[in-house]
Amino acid sequence: MTQDYIAVLVQIVLAGGFAVATLIASALLGKRALRNPMKDSAYECGMLPVGEGQARFSVKFYLVAMLFVLFDVEVVFLIPWATVYRAQIESGAGIFLFAMLGFVGILFLAYLYALKKGALSWQR
Amino acid sequence: MNPDTLTWLILLLPLLSAATIVVGIGRWSNLSALVSTGTAFLSLVFSVMLATNGEAVASIAYPWIDLSPSFQVNIGFTLDKLALGMMLIVSSIGFLVHLFSLGYMRDDSGKSRYFAGLSLFLFSMSGIVLADNFVMMFIFWELVGVSSYILIGHWYEKNSAAEAGKKAFLVNRIGDFGFMTGILLVWILTGSIYFKEIAQAVGGVANAGLLNAAVLCVFAGAVGKSAQVPLHVWLPDAMEGPTPVSALIHAATMVAAGVYMLARVSFLVDASAVAGTTIAWVGAITALLAALMALQQDDIKRVLAYSTLSQLGYMVMAQGLGSAGADAGMFHLYTHAFFKALLFLGSGAVIYACHHEQDIWRMGGLRKRMPITFWTFALGTAALIAVPFTSGFWSKEAILEALLQQKMHGPYAVGIIVAFLTPFYMTRLVLVAFFGPSRTKEAEHAREVEPVMWIPLALLAVMAVFSAYRFLAAPLVAAGHADFGHFFSHFGLTATLSLVGLVGGVAGAWFLYRTAQKDPISIPLFRDKFRIDELYLFFVDKIQDGLARGLTRLDRDVIDPLIARFPAALSLAGGSVSRALQTGNVQTYAFLFGLGVVALLYFVL
Amino acid sequence: MQVYYLEFFVVALGLVMLMVDAFAKLQDKRSLARLGILGLGVVFLLLFAVQSPSNAASPVWKFYAAPDNLSLFFKGVALLTTILSLVMAIDFAPIVLSKIAPPDQGAHPQAGLGEFYSLPVFVCAGLMWMASANNLVSIFVSIEVVSITFIILAGYMRRNVGSLEAGVKYLILGALSAGFLVYGFAWLYGITGSMELGPITEALAKPGVNSTAAMFAFSLILVSLAFKLGAAPFHIWVPDVYQGAPTPITAFLSVGSKAGAAIVTLRLVYPYLTSPVLGTKALAILVVIAILTLLLGNLGALAQKNLKRLMGYSSVGHSGFLIMALASTSYPGAVNALSPVAVFAYYIGAYLLMTLLVFLVLNVLNAADTGETLDSIRGLAKRSPFLAGILLIALASLAGVPLTTGFIGKFLAFKIALDAGQWMLIAAALIGAAAGFYFYLKIAASMYLDAPSSSDGAAIPVNLLTKVSMVILAILILLTGIVPNVIVKLFS
Repeated sequence: MTQDYIAVLVQIVLAGGFAVATLIASALLGKRALRNPMKDSAYECGMLPVGEGQARFSVKFYLVAMLFVLFDVEVVFLIPWATVYRAQIESGAGIFLFAMLGFVGILFLAYLYALKKGALSWQR
Repeated sequence: MNPDTLTWLILLLPLLSAATIVVGIGRWSNLSALVSTGTAFLSLVFSVMLATNGEAVASIAYPWIDLSPSFQVNIGFTLDKLALGMMLIVSSIGFLVHLFSLGYMRDDSGKSRYFAGLSLFLFSMSGIVLADNFVMMFIFWELVGVSSYILIGHWYEKNSAAEAGKKAFLVNRIGDFGFMTGILLVWILTGSIYFKEIAQAVGGVANAGLLNAAVLCVFAGAVGKSAQVPLHVWLPDAMEGPTPVSALIHAATMVAAGVYMLARVSFLVDASAVAGTTIAWVGAITALLAALMALQQDDIKRVLAYSTLSQLGYMVMAQGLGSAGADAGMFHLYTHAFFKALLFLGSGAVIYACHHEQDIWRMGGLRKRMPITFWTFALGTAALIAVPFTSGFWSKEAILEALLQQKMHGPYAVGIIVAFLTPFYMTRLVLVAFFGPSRTKEAEHAREVEPVMWIPLALLAVMAVFSAYRFLAAPLVAAGHADFGHFFSHFGLTATLSLVGLVGGVAGAWFLYRTAQKDPISIPLFRDKFRIDELYLFFVDKIQDGLARGLTRLDRDVIDPLIARFPAALSLAGGSVSRALQTGNVQTYAFLFGLGVVALLYFVL
Repeated sequence: MQVYYLEFFVVALGLVMLMVDAFAKLQDKRSLARLGILGLGVVFLLLFAVQSPSNAASPVWKFYAAPDNLSLFFKGVALLTTILSLVMAIDFAPIVLSKIAPPDQGAHPQAGLGEFYSLPVFVCAGLMWMASANNLVSIFVSIEVVSITFIILAGYMRRNVGSLEAGVKYLILGALSAGFLVYGFAWLYGITGSMELGPITEALAKPGVNSTAAMFAFSLILVSLAFKLGAAPFHIWVPDVYQGAPTPITAFLSVGSKAGAAIVTLRLVYPYLTSPVLGTKALAILVVIAILTLLLGNLGALAQKNLKRLMGYSSVGHSGFLIMALASTSYPGAVNALSPVAVFAYYIGAYLLMTLLVFLVLNVLNAADTGETLDSIRGLAKRSPFLAGILLIALASLAGVPLTTGFIGKFLAFKIALDAGQWMLIAAALIGAAAGFYFYLKIAASMYLDAPSSSDGAAIPVNLLTKVSMVILAILILLTGIVPNVIVKLFS
């Protein structure tokens, strides 16, 4: 059984070996680079960086973004449903419409909730 | 109602009452008392209904733990004549005692607790009576012990009462240990815990020695519960409990449970002759020793307690004959239950009237002041000393005759001697307490008790006289009742001897105690109960404690390190290993998680 | 009434609670919890009105099992757990409020409390669905409904480092385990060509099944389920999360989540155990996991000082007994008197009663600011005889003292292992049970024998609803301990 894994082992060795080989090759073959503090700074052009490396966003941004993604993705479900709607109704699955109505209904309630709780108002 | 429902109601109503009182209504003591008395009454009614239902129903079984076919324990009820009769005795006396307690415990501060205890007792006693297997009987056997403990120690502020409760509990443990061993042995030998199956299987048991041991171990349970020598020491002390409790538990019903149990398994006694003889002799010795001790007691309840011991000795003697004597023993249990309950309740009335005075030498002259109590007490005494044609006479004759027929001459002789001693000490009791002048102020001021207390006395007095006759006894006991035809046609040795004993005993006491102001005879050995308590104390103090000290040392220095501390250290070490994995770091956790997956996969593939 | 209406009702209840919280001007948001308790209670009663399906061919039954005693029992367990967690959450409200952001100017003084009461209702719907899910997709979705909600709830007290930590740990490790589950499902689908448990069971029983691939799928699925059950070696998250999460949520997590995981485990592992090809191997893994869990859980608890953490280890230990029952399943053809399903269900029921009872008491102590360490309950019997008595019953049952439901549960587990002849398991379980006796009764002893820690001698207030719940649970523990047949008979 262990022999089955030899292929995997070879794969790992190849993957690691490739990375190492590339690094060594570039060190051997490439030209030595210049290093000084100015060269290592964020903008090589001489512009001094201001503030933190990572800018801070308001938490509201994430909240709105998340809500957007949520509703967006859930709306996506409507499309496959719509494509098979006619076929399903003809085959007699009466619950098909109501299932989606329920789904959209819950989404609507969730939207109302988010609205009422002030999740979409930037001011609060 | 069908028998199923009735039986369940009889069993569970008292439990319900006890639970209701403890959980809910305990703070309203009068309501609690009424609820408890009400359920006792219902219990009586249902028992009567069940008994008059005919004998169509033999047994009912409900699966309790049912993992069939590999393992099964049933809650089973036996509803044969033996059980139904005993149930009637328990519920009728139980109800009367409840009634009496309404008066006796009127102003007690722990009234609800008391009635809850009575209800619990009624529940557990019904369980013993109805059980169709040893396991169930043993469970209720222990429950009876608990309720007895609660009730003996009812006045727990009094040191002696608390101590007495503890003593009863501990002494009973010894017997119960034997009982349990016996049950297990019987189970090993016959492969069953059900009485019916044991009865069929016991004939096929080859190992006679082990069977003897098993039966004797089962008997040990009866020795503890029915207070036979050498485990009799708890019963006199148990008189510290309220008097109605003494009447119900320590005279009429619970102490008879041992006898009932022996009657239930009389087929086991039949199968083992050695055990049978031993049982008969233990009963005889108890009857004799207890009667001797009763001669010199001054406390009215203690005299009755020793007479109870002595009468229980009679019953156990009869049970030693196996099925040949079981009916006679149960017959005496039945008559005794009524007249002894009567005597105890009567003594309770006297004690109540004399402001909780129990010393008979500080009473006297109560005959005039408490006529109803006196006359009922006298009738109870008549039954106890076997005055001809009272109930006690018939049942005692039955036992003695059975002994003679089975050629148990030794116990028979003892029985005759006791038949002389009993009239002596009972006459002494009645003369000193009720006749002559009043010796103290309390006795002078005694007045007749109220109806709620004397009505039970009167009812019981009727039963004390007539319970042996066919119109009352026929539905109650399997066999045995007053039979004039038989008595006169077989008038012989037994009847003559016991009549001589009766007359001699009464006359002797009359002569000695007619006008006595203090005890004219003094036998310290009897007064001190043969110093058995002291002997036990010495044994426990010196020998058992010495042994225990040695064992403690062994335990602490050898066993503990070997089997307790070493594994404890090991498991604590195991615990710290598992704790060491808890670094609290999510990365570590995820890593361990992955490690687990790899290990699992390696294991699987 | 069709069985799936139950979940509809519960979801609707949760939505109503959210809407009421958002739109109605409630003075005291704790009445939301009372509404939830009432609604769930009604749904619990409706459990007894469930009819067998009128149309067995309906496509619904392809992803939702037709009602049987087992699924209804677990739905009941979910409902009861949620109800009791809400009871606890009412008492716990002040602590939650103090550990979330202080309200803005003009906002409701209890802002943020409403969701603490509505989210458990959604968990409940998920748990109930888990009890009936019989399709890989519906199993996964229902598990995720429960897990995601639990992540929010575990980290609910966002100003409390412990609670946040619990939430984050549960999130990361939960996501990891969910990944394994999906991967396992993918393999399972690849092997059997079906998403439904019925065809999967048939496919796995065929002699031609690819055993290596099937066992690979099994391991992946088992990893995830062991994580949810808190079984070793995937139990490491349990003590940390249990300690950090708000007490009502810890209780909910320890009983609800475990019950849900248990029923799913039963449904997913059973096809393997009954397969003649794969049974032996699957059983061997389960035995190893059961032994590890029994030992690590119970021995780990020995040295604990924090009660919630100790309950975490105790929960792991009890998972050990559960898996022990599962690992004692008879091989095909063997005759076994006791159905593992019955043992499993009984054990979960027993575990529910006693664990929730302990947490009810802990929650009251928490709310009274008594603390949650072992020291804090020293001499509890003097301060509050009622709480001490209740806790004593629960602990005795957890330890497995006879005449309690915990004893019967352990007894059945031992019995079934004995029937199956799993001696290694029995040895481990004996060690575990002995250790359990030590650490449970140590708590009981310290309640009754030690003197209370000097500072606070004040009586601890217990409100009526909590008191009633405690008494009912205690009575049920004793009752099912004396008459176990009531539950056992449901499944045989």
